[in-house]
Amino acid sequence: MGPIIVVVEMQSDAMSPASAELLSRARQLARAQSTRVVALGFGEAARGALGSSGADDAFLAAGADAYVPTQAEAALRQVLQETAAGLVLLPNTTMGMDLGAATAAAEGRPMVAYATSLAAVEGGAFKATSQVYGGKLVAEVAVPEGSVVTVLPGSWPADEAVSGTTPVRDLVVAGESPMELVRTIEPDTGDVDITRADVLVSVGRGIQDPDNLELADELAEALGAVVSCSRPVVDAGWLPRARQVGKSGQTVKPKLYLALGISGAPEHLQGMKDSEIIVAINSDPTAPIFEVAHYGATCDILELMPILTERLGGAD
Amino acid sequence: MRIAVLVKDVPDLVEELELDESGRGLAVDDLSYVPSEWDDQALEEALLLKEASGAHVSAVALDTGDVDNMLYTALAKGADRAVKLVGDYDRTLPGRQRARILADYLAGAGYDLVMTGVQAVDDLDGQIAGLLGGMLGWPHASVVRDVAVDSGAVRFVQEYAGGRMAEFRSSTPLVLGVQAAKKPPRYVPIARIRQVSRSAALEEVEAGGSPSESLAAIERLYRPEAQGHATMWDGDAEQVAAALVALLDEQHLRS
Amino acid sequence: MTLRTMLMAATIVVALASVGVFSVRGRAIWTVLRRTRPVVRWDRIGERLLSVGTQVFGHRRMVRIPLSGILHYFIFSGFVVLLLDIVGTIGQVFRPGFGIGPWLSLAVDVWVALVLVGVLMAVYNRAVLRPARFHGSDERDAYMILVLIAIIVVGIVVHESFYPVVAASFFHVADPSLKSEFLGNGLYHVWQNLGWTTPTAGLVGYTVGYLMDIGVVFAFLAYLPYSKHFHILLAVPNIFFRNLRPIGELVESPPDETMAIRSFDDMRWKDVLDLFTCTECGRCQDVCPAYAAGQPLSPKMVILDLRDRLVSDWGRSEADAPPLAGGAVSREALWACTTCGACQQACPVFIEHVPKIAGLRAALLEDGDVDPAAQKVLVAWERQGNSFGQPARKRPEWAKGLEFPIRDARKEPVDWLWFVGDFAALDPRAREMTPVVGELLHRAGVDFGILYEAEVNSGNDALRIGEYGLFETLAQKNLKVLEKATFQRVFTTDPHSLNALKNEYRKFGFDKPVFHYTEAFLALIQEGRLPVSPVPIRATYHDPCYLGRWNHITEAPRELLRVLGVDLREMPRHGEQSFCCGAGGGRIWMDESGIVERPANQRIREALALPGITHFVVACPKDVSMFHAAATALGVDDRLRVTDVTELLAAAVGLRATPLPAAMAMGASE
Ligand SMILES: Cc1cc2nc3c(=O)[nH]c(=O)nc-3n(C[C@H](O)[C@H](O)[C@H](O)COP(=O)(O)OP(=O)(O)OC[C@H]3O[C@@H](n4cnc5c(N)ncnc54)[C@H](O)[C@@H]3O)c2cc1C
Ligand SMILES: Cc1cc2nc3c(=O)[nH]c(=O)nc-3n(C[C@H](O)[C@H](O)[C@H](O)COP(=O)(O)OP(=O)(O)OC[C@H]3O[C@@H](n4cnc5c(N)ncnc54)[C@H](O)[C@@H]3O)c2cc1C
Ligand code: SF4
Ligand code: SF4
Repeated sequence: MGPIIVVVEMQSDAMSPASAELLSRARQLARAQSTRVVALGFGEAARGALGSSGADDAFLAAGADAYVPTQAEAALRQVLQETAAGLVLLPNTTMGMDLGAATAAAEGRPMVAYATSLAAVEGGAFKATSQVYGGKLVAEVAVPEGSVVTVLPGSWPADEAVSGTTPVRDLVVAGESPMELVRTIEPDTGDVDITRADVLVSVGRGIQDPDNLELADELAEALGAVVSCSRPVVDAGWLPRARQVGKSGQTVKPKLYLALGISGAPEHLQGMKDSEIIVAINSDPTAPIFEVAHYGATCDILELMPILTERLGGAD
Repeated sequence: MRIAVLVKDVPDLVEELELDESGRGLAVDDLSYVPSEWDDQALEEALLLKEASGAHVSAVALDTGDVDNMLYTALAKGADRAVKLVGDYDRTLPGRQRARILADYLAGAGYDLVMTGVQAVDDLDGQIAGLLGGMLGWPHASVVRDVAVDSGAVRFVQEYAGGRMAEFRSSTPLVLGVQAAKKPPRYVPIARIRQVSRSAALEEVEAGGSPSESLAAIERLYRPEAQGHATMWDGDAEQVAAALVALLDEQHLRS
Repeated sequence: MTLRTMLMAATIVVALASVGVFSVRGRAIWTVLRRTRPVVRWDRIGERLLSVGTQVFGHRRMVRIPLSGILHYFIFSGFVVLLLDIVGTIGQVFRPGFGIGPWLSLAVDVWVALVLVGVLMAVYNRAVLRPARFHGSDERDAYMILVLIAIIVVGIVVHESFYPVVAASFFHVADPSLKSEFLGNGLYHVWQNLGWTTPTAGLVGYTVGYLMDIGVVFAFLAYLPYSKHFHILLAVPNIFFRNLRPIGELVESPPDETMAIRSFDDMRWKDVLDLFTCTECGRCQDVCPAYAAGQPLSPKMVILDLRDRLVSDWGRSEADAPPLAGGAVSREALWACTTCGACQQACPVFIEHVPKIAGLRAALLEDGDVDPAAQKVLVAWERQGNSFGQPARKRPEWAKGLEFPIRDARKEPVDWLWFVGDFAALDPRAREMTPVVGELLHRAGVDFGILYEAEVNSGNDALRIGEYGLFETLAQKNLKVLEKATFQRVFTTDPHSLNALKNEYRKFGFDKPVFHYTEAFLALIQEGRLPVSPVPIRATYHDPCYLGRWNHITEAPRELLRVLGVDLREMPRHGEQSFCCGAGGGRIWMDESGIVERPANQRIREALALPGITHFVVACPKDVSMFHAAATALGVDDRLRVTDVTELLAAAVGLRATPLPAAMAMGASE
């Protein structure tokens, strides 16, 4: 089998945790299928990370420092043309969504997205499970050799220590890019830093109406907690972006994460599933949030919040 | 600017998702369907673009079932044209094949910008925007917002983890997977949709049979019940509140 | 030229000018009316005449505000008598010797006095009492009219008083008797004492009096269609053409394309007639819950703003003119309406505000201008069939805990079909009472069933949000199962569902009798099928708008409470004059910003003013959540218990303990 290609993503000058997770699994799979791991990174900043990636080989597409979808795709396809890859692994992040499907389609490779587990099977193929339908169903998929797989961050742990250095080869990508970076926009840290809170009262679309946020505020006050939320609450303009937990928001690890009316879409889980204790309240007993929660209940949050606040001695 | 917005419907997640007998797929006939929420965002963003700088917007759907209403809705909301790609396929058509049919159509249809939802709840075999970009060899980007026309080119913002974003400028043709529109999708009254369905016609384009594509096969589809499910607290809100307070006390988390 | 010739010439000139000025406006209005939508208002002539009798000559609605009612009666009846005077006075000039006889002449003078008293009362009302309902009305117009009326009636007395002076010389009438014209006669004696009985004085005096009377009458006639006083002419036809169909029916027949009102052509002719009939009395504004809550809606201003807009361009707006919905009437005003119907109920000339507001809302909705929370509800209705966005299979879940199975009316014939409604089925608080209703029916031995997950929202609120298409979709879904089911009558706890099934589904041919649970349980108790023991509490009862006002069901709930032994005390606003909780017309889902004090809170305070009331009884699942929230917000829930009639029934039959407010419950347990 050809090598396993892992596309590495950078996050504030270090390799993203999701990439480290992929590399760990790639090494295991490579051993099982007796092949090598080849890492690919973009931008000069990735050189160091690639060198200590634990991969057998690495390519660095230098040039622009930041990520530009068209340039990254050209680089990945060039690597694939040079090496007959047996598997291509990407994190199911923005980058993975950009490069995964496009590369698979362009190169005629099968594709599996939203994977949460990946194992080798006899005869040089793999098997994955993926979260579909907002996490309400799990698909078990046979992954043929040569496939592209995008993996949800946090699906398995990364190896603690990686030894040895990986030789990094520079990749010169030919051609003009039709797409140019205009500027990068740093996150709006806003009023509070939800990543530092010990207790988060996190509200989702189940809050139904911005007026009801008052109930969450009162509860948070009684708990000494901070209010965070799922993405739709931000998109509706009910809370500032800095309060958003999940894939395109913050990753949080509080001591207690109280999820109120949040269904538990994979993108949300990605931002909070490592919290120490997760308590989920959702009127739908089949909501996927209960899969990651430690404790759960199916009552109405609008009913629960004032009662809880009162019991905690707040909002009198 | 000629914009194509690709729309499709997906099972309504509010309702129970029934599986078929094989255990590898959904009982497609027993489900209720709603327009994919991100496609709605893409359509809204396209319509806002039209209002801001005068684009021509076509809604495009593959005829896998009852898509007429979705297309009429797009017209009623302000799309200029609705295209239905007809052929011998149904709802079970995998995303990869859908993408191929769409790509074959889009390749010669003269659009400058193709917009679609960043993802759908059922795109296990890849997000449509990326698949199309790869098949057509066009530049493309996912998780996009704030799309604007800028003297023949397109500007947009792409979102990353942790709230970081970057703004790009791209030449056309271009494919964008839209995450969120500048405003929540607009409402259109049912009477208006009916009116449109009487007065306007859907453009039907013969798109042939299902193409062959290399696919990964689903072996089993199941509810994730088995894994570490939460310990459930029974009872009404009062009892749940009591249990929660007890937990807080046990963990010394009360301020 | 003699005095007679002069006066005759002046009369003809003034009359022609007046008719000319009048008809300019009259024609303009007629042109607009001809382009409007049709509506049948010529049927049931007898009833119509009767209603003109009670409302115009009986002033039935007017006297709800006694001072205004009486002063208006003086002035209004004066106009009838004024007609006699006009005939008499003009006749006197054109045919010397003409008279209307002593009795009618007496009547004229009596009413001159009454009208003057009425005018003084009106001035006192406007200048001293200044009721808030006049806020926004055209005060100048009002005073101008009062002055004109005063001039006319004083003129009557003036020309009467000089008649004896000029009678012989100018009219060649030998014996000008002023026996019954006591005012004119009195004034004549004053002139005699002053020595103003010379021919010149007579000529001047009579001419002045005649012009004050007849001249101003014609000026008044010309002014009428340009003023709120057009109602003098239009009130009678407007009342005659009032809506005699069930008033709970917002839309009589399926609209061709849309119910949206974008131009005056989209209104029904009666709606345009309404605009010109409005008296600016502000009674509608006075009872409007949205206005009382501090929202930017006054039903009066809706009518006046539409009228002013119509008059400004006669419905021929330029393309870039501001729209009616969101322009002439602001979007905030339109979305603030709870469709409670209090305005229509209060209007003395039977103006129909709600159809106009709903039509204008429909126009906003077509442009996508709707409250985001309400939009979510519209989408949920379309997708899941309920406002909660819950899966359909959750709808019958409330029935799970019952010890007996509830029949599936889709599968077997039942006597009563229970249309449960969204709130009773899915709202966490309202849902607690729903199984109790089931138990009560079961106990009474009623053969009943429900439609399980096949029932969807009735569409009553969707229609009132202006979404006719969605209403129709929901109605058709319900009708599809209702038509297949076998049942004798419909039973519901929800007044909104009741209204839709009873009034709005008629246009689709649904005609089964529909009963509210208060009516049904009253009958069951009276038939002896549900033995009750007294529930001795002192309570007040809130009439839900869609039960009391829109469906005239005010007596059954009261009788039921009396049968249950409840000591019922009425709030000042009750029955069809009840005050809305603020939830109707989709308001329950909309943004509350702009509300200074919620109508529900005002209502609870109204109840608290009654001595010794411990229970606030409601008969609508939405009211349970609205008033519970209000009592909690005011912090009075420990002494005033918001109670659904069901809870009292449950206590009366021994299913549950009597619900008590916290303060009393504590007292009871000590
Ligand atoms: C590229 C990308 C990035 C994304 N990034 C993020 C991200 O960073 N963070 C994020 O959160 N999402 C993100 N999403 C969106 C994600 O897919 C989901 O749409 C989102 O998480 C759903 O939010 P929710 O759970 O609040 O809403 P829903 O999925 O609508 O869930 C609402 C839940 O509330 C429950 N409920 C309703 N009423 C009540 C009540 N009265 N009491 C109790 N429960 C109630 C319902 O049963 C339901 O389960 C992203 C999506 C994409 C495509
Ligand atoms: C359209 C609408 C919109 C609304 N919007 C909002 C809104 O935006 N914000 C808002 O705050 N409210 C809103 N409400 C009001 C809302 O429905 C509730 O009334 C509100 O949440 C307050 O009620 P509560 O739960 O505190 O009081 P209650 O419903 O009276 O609940 C108090 C609960 O506490 C229990 N209790 C009492 N003493 C104790 C004790 N010592 N220990 C444990 N439990 C105890 C009682 O048994 C009871 O269940 C809205 C209502 C409506 C109808
Ligand atoms: S229906 Fe009620 S809320 Fe609407 S305008 Fe009339 S009185 Fe006001
Ligand atoms: S609409 Fe009726 S109640 Fe309102 S001001 Fe006019 S006449 Fe009076």
